Amino acid sequence: MPLVIFVDDSETALASTRMVTDSMPITVKQYLSAVDALREIKGGMTPDLIITDMNMPVMNGFEFLQALRTVPSTARTPVLMLTTETRDELKQQGKAFGLTGWIVKPFNPAQLKQAIARVLRLA
Amino acid sequence: MQFVQTLNGLLEHVKKVERETIALTKDGQLQLVKFIEKNSLRLDDETLEVMQYQDIIAQQLSATIEAIENMQAHLHLFTNAFDQDAPSMQESFGEMDDKLTSVLKNAQDKHSAFGGKTQHHNFDDGVEFF
Repeated sequence: MPLVIFVDDSETALASTRMVTDSMPITVKQYLSAVDALREIKGGMTPDLIITDMNMPVMNGFEFLQALRTVPSTARTPVLMLTTETRDELKQQGKAFGLTGWIVKPFNPAQLKQAIARVLRLA
Repeated sequence: MQFVQTLNGLLEHVKKVERETIALTKDGQLQLVKFIEKNSLRLDDETLEVMQYQDIIAQQLSATIEAIENMQAHLHLFTNAFDQDAPSMQESFGEMDDKLTSVLKNAQDKHSAFGGKTQHHNFDDGVEFF
């Protein structure tokens, strides 16, 4: 099954995404810190999709995205930003960094599942 | 500068209440999630959507805590400047007012930015692909 990783410094946000995705044919790993996720990726983990929050301490979503693009195994991995931010200038910045898409919180569960299915080309 | 000390005490109290509110809502939410997952309950989409509000509440309150801490830092600088040179009080007041106005603007921007769809009721599509 495809591996999808979620990165968010909010435990309750991760719980919400877990409850939405638990019926999908995917393997989910969750991280409270982009630094921890990046460490595992550099250690050999190869996610098929990365969904990350924007506003996080130590390493924010954009810094995480830029770091992912420097790792050969995730240089082209789809990345979705899942955030409360709605500003167009941030979306454009994300697009320039190679972001796949932008999902605004609180997300609609059906839309999140559709977005994951679309990126992973699930039937 | 007794009034600054009183103001600082009030700000500390507000931060404490906000931190407690974040912790209480988080604990309550996680307990609810634990019960739901333990009993394999299925929630409908509307409920799953409002389950995310704790995250937004925490972000909004954290942003105001950050604004208060910035404000306290400027008050501290003002107090030091005032103590060292009382005649320049008017100038210190002016500088403090500029800094606090900037803190307020930043806090208001974050209120809008961290609200997600809850701040944009006409926001009908929460997913955008590039």
